[in-house]
Amino acid sequence: MSDLVRKQICEGVTFDTIQDNRFKAGRLNIKLITPLSRKTAAENALLACVLTRSCKKYPDFTSLYRRLNELYGAALFPAIRKVGDFQVISLLASGLDDRYALKGESVSSELAELLCSILFEPKLVNGCFDEEDVEQERRQILEQIDSEFNDKRGFAIKRCIEIMCRDELYSVNRYGGREEVLAITQDDLVSAWKRLLDNAAVSVMKLGGGDPQGVYEKMESRFAGKPRRIKGATAIVSNVSEVKRAAETDEISQSKLVMGYRCKYPESNRECVANSLMSVILGGAPTSKLFLNVREKQSLCYYCASMADNEKGILLIDSGVETDKIEKTEKAVTEQVELLKSGDLTDDELIHAKLLLKNAYISSLDSLGAMDSYYAARALRESPASPQESAEIAESITRNEILELASCIKLDTVFSLVGN
Amino acid sequence: MGLTEITNERLGEKYYSVKHSSGLRILICPKEGFRSAYAVIGTRFGSINSSFINNGRKITVPDGTAHYLEHKLFESEEGDAFSQYARTGASANAYTSFDVTCYLFSCTERFDESLGILFDLVRSPYFTPETVAKEQGIIGQEIKMYDDSPEWRVNINLMQAMYSEHSINKDIAGTVETIAQITPEILYDCYNSYYNLNNMVLCVAGNITPEQVLAVADSKLTKDEPSVTESLMPEEPYKVKQDYIEQTLPVAVPLFSLGYKEDGGSGYVTSKESLCTAILLEAFAGEGSELYRELLDKKLINSSFAAEYIDGTGYRYISFSGESREPKLAAEIIKKAVVELHEKGISEEDFENARNCTYGRIARSWDSPSAIATDLINSQFTGREIFEPINLISGLTVNDVNERLRSELDPENFCLSVIKGIEAAVEDKSI
Repeated sequence: MSDLVRKQICEGVTFDTIQDNRFKAGRLNIKLITPLSRKTAAENALLACVLTRSCKKYPDFTSLYRRLNELYGAALFPAIRKVGDFQVISLLASGLDDRYALKGESVSSELAELLCSILFEPKLVNGCFDEEDVEQERRQILEQIDSEFNDKRGFAIKRCIEIMCRDELYSVNRYGGREEVLAITQDDLVSAWKRLLDNAAVSVMKLGGGDPQGVYEKMESRFAGKPRRIKGATAIVSNVSEVKRAAETDEISQSKLVMGYRCKYPESNRECVANSLMSVILGGAPTSKLFLNVREKQSLCYYCASMADNEKGILLIDSGVETDKIEKTEKAVTEQVELLKSGDLTDDELIHAKLLLKNAYISSLDSLGAMDSYYAARALRESPASPQESAEIAESITRNEILELASCIKLDTVFSLVGN
Repeated sequence: MGLTEITNERLGEKYYSVKHSSGLRILICPKEGFRSAYAVIGTRFGSINSSFINNGRKITVPDGTAHYLEHKLFESEEGDAFSQYARTGASANAYTSFDVTCYLFSCTERFDESLGILFDLVRSPYFTPETVAKEQGIIGQEIKMYDDSPEWRVNINLMQAMYSEHSINKDIAGTVETIAQITPEILYDCYNSYYNLNNMVLCVAGNITPEQVLAVADSKLTKDEPSVTESLMPEEPYKVKQDYIEQTLPVAVPLFSLGYKEDGGSGYVTSKESLCTAILLEAFAGEGSELYRELLDKKLINSSFAAEYIDGTGYRYISFSGESREPKLAAEIIKKAVVELHEKGISEEDFENARNCTYGRIARSWDSPSAIATDLINSQFTGREIFEPINLISGLTVNDVNERLRSELDPENFCLSVIKGIEAAVEDKSI
């Protein structure tokens, strides 16, 4: 149960199945993986939205959604994420398991068919996407990009990354830039579609009950004999000559502080787990150094958390604080990071972080969405550890392994969003 | 001890319910093959219970007290609960809503120990002037974080504009000023009035057995004599207080929430009423509806648009909310559609389509221990047994839904809440 079975259709095209009958839902994720660039990121994101809006058989939004409602409120949607300096474009379908369908229909095969038809047989008129569909989705992507400003915590993190990685592709928004979205033409979209089908690495994952054979055959007939190779690699920066500092003002009542660090890029599954563990020790739990010292002891904030991005080799620490406490908070955070670097790590801290991280890995096995995300985040890794394996690795990580990784952490950027 | 088994054949699910000798109601849903377990204990005490009578004594507390108490219960004389959970690896949290306060954890091992910690947490209040003062800074920052959240503000403002008397019009966490008045005595008063096991519910789902849960309850819980605390709720008029409210915040895309206030009733609505409303809203404003299409075509909404029904002690309303470049125009179109809806009702075809969708949603909610435990505890608080919707849904007719519509979405009783950007970038064309 919950084991991943991988079939290789050809070089760069994989088909993964997690056969699991515990759930009342099923899930299918077609991932297209391609290097990030400002222009193509925007094209791919808009394309994914246009594709999931209609298809040949259900040529407009309303008819498609009414069909999804008939299929017991199934969902069909795009998801775009960055994995290192790559863009992963997902087309997803999730819906009721066949055993619970009221009229005995096979929801899973209908959904698989819909998802394939959306990708392979989009609604094209004279070789172009529907003009109205494109404009509708362009508007919504622009609103999505704009509304990143509405969420102040997320916005501050985004700005920190943009400044920290300004010379790296990683600074590109997952939806591309505003200007690039505005500039996309019909031709751009059609070539993005062809480019993704011909060149992007493809990773399909089917999770839940039901027979995967039907989808497998569709993917095989489309992709067999068409190998592709992911070009390029994520830029890893390990030296920082000078800490970048930036502050912006905003009409907010709580200021935000984000500190961006460079870490060692974790090569192996073991290093990945160790790096995540280090992040939990620092600021991933209510017993972490940052929570206990910056929040509980000094009452400086409500949250002070750390997040490691193993695919980029960076770590971010963020907090929401009073404007006149920004400096004090930065000092308090730096003090905790330095303490860890100097070897201040108790057995209890290590054990508690291990328990919590293991809990998170094992819990993900109880959710199709969590399993899917777990693997999507590792889409660039040849053979990622399963959640179960990661939990076992976590158990065996030593104090020295954590300290070794901690010694590589370097502060790169301090960004604050300052309230008035 | 009488363990009642409640089953549902269509879903192939069952849960157990028992009134523990301590007075605590316990619901347990074992999920075969699952690795995690989720437990949540809650009491019927939320932000709206700010005035009450306990043992003949009338007590009124500052706004935000229930939420403050939630934070402070994590500390006991022996230290804080987080450090105890750290030893079991459980991931713990808590939340306070208008009506209830809940404490929860999820884990994949050492469940019994974590459940013991959860019981200790809610059974050993420890408040001193120092520990209470320490939380002012932390909660003060939590309040400020929410002050900057447009999604939060658009709803809280809607409550303030719709309700004149009911304390749902106050922010759950209070304000920096009100929480400064909170003392250990106030927290003890609230604790003693509402944290009686007879007023509480424990729900557990996932990788556990009833025997396991009851054994921990037996060893940890002493009996509470039932005590009655009467919550004082002011009389709320039927009409909305005002029909428009706006706030300026630094947002790039404005937000709106259009609320339709209903008669507050005497408590929660029934399962049938709640289900009919869910189908009604799906048919009327779901992604497959004409209204959704019209709003999209006119570029007035995006995928953040949602329709919701909210009911609680003395309040009931429907809200339509989302981001919009032109909130007023979006609201005008919804209001017009509401008037037409009352004239025509929901069609048979739209009803069937929405019913299918609703059925699938209910069935799929049984895939996650956290969702099951949360639904179970809500079922106790609302009095809506958890299998009732799935049992009722196939027998429902379009007439049931249209009948329900009569007491909802009063075209004369709405309120629009808008969060607009600082540069007044919202150019509203009125129609």
